[in-house]
Amino acid sequence: MPDAADVYRRVDETDELSSGDIAFLSLARTRTVGEGPPGEAFDPIGRIPAYPRPALRPLPHGREIAIDTMFALVVTHSCEIDRQKNLDASADHFDCRLTVAPIVPEPAVSLVGPDGVVEPGVSWSAIEHNDPVASLYLPPIDDLSSFAPGVEGVWPRAFADLRGLTTVSRRMVAADRLCGLTPAYLGMLQRQLARFFTWRDIARHELLESMVGRRVEAVVPLDSGADRWRVALTGDDGSSVTIEGRTK
Amino acid sequence: MTTLGSIIEERHITYAALAARARLQPRTVRAIATGETPLDRVSVGTIRRIAAALAIPVAVILEVDDPVHPGDAGQTRTARLSAAVREVMWPRGATPYPYPSPVEAGGRDEIADLTADEFFSGMPPIDARRG
Repeated sequence: MPDAADVYRRVDETDELSSGDIAFLSLARTRTVGEGPPGEAFDPIGRIPAYPRPALRPLPHGREIAIDTMFALVVTHSCEIDRQKNLDASADHFDCRLTVAPIVPEPAVSLVGPDGVVEPGVSWSAIEHNDPVASLYLPPIDDLSSFAPGVEGVWPRAFADLRGLTTVSRRMVAADRLCGLTPAYLGMLQRQLARFFTWRDIARHELLESMVGRRVEAVVPLDSGADRWRVALTGDDGSSVTIEGRTK
Repeated sequence: MTTLGSIIEERHITYAALAARARLQPRTVRAIATGETPLDRVSVGTIRRIAAALAIPVAVILEVDDPVHPGDAGQTRTARLSAAVREVMWPRGATPYPYPSPVEAGGRDEIADLTADEFFSGMPPIDARRG
């Protein structure tokens, strides 16, 4: 499990923005008033968490903006940020979005699993090892001033939650940037991003349809748990699909 | 003097009277009101009882200031960030809210055992034209 020196680096105010920057931000999401989750099934990756106590701003036609004020981690790749200069672009073409993941601190939450059962020990142990695809572990910092000169306090154990990605402007990140991630740990962020966005290797409907009539040449069991199993099927044309079944 | 101490003084009530109303020990109330016991060492339940007995919001006793906002020009950047860490990362007096764990039920996959270098080592070379 990484410690603070492996993970964080000091960032000066004048430094270029970078993937892995951590900043204090207002994160906005829009929704219809009173909109609830889509169903009852628990899916730790697909389930979008409700952030603590958003400020709400009304929009016309039964819509609203929910604003969460919290720390967040920049996940936009650094070379993508470098290219966001918009030189020679017209004013109406200008934009400045960075994708960020909200940071969830341990003291604020009680992690729950299926059926709302609290499972702090199991969850935090897995998060510390970056086992889940949807989180990046952020270790505690005993003295924040060692990474953010002038900032007082202790940073608790936390994780960046990739399920809550949203966008903010560059200038907002620059104004309230706390610190950044080391180059080595940026690699872990990128690994987690790759896992998160490719985890759903489950077959899409059209892939399944294209397999109809083909001979299955290989069946590879991938993994299974108490409530699910997954297998990869390879067709005689070399195409492949992964199928997941749930046992309950 | 603490905010609670000021309120008790303004209302001309005794520690014992307030303690009786809040169903607490008088010495507990006195220690909180005088600052002898710091607020961060007092249980949320005790604060709630005192607030209810005085018919005031819990936040008044907790001396919660206006929440800090990103970009607040009324504070320096470092003061703003220090306040944000205190308020956002260590929410005082708030019960931790249930939050869906990101841990999957199916257990670890093979990638979870790979370092970032190992994970990316088999990737094809990056197209230089794409930066």
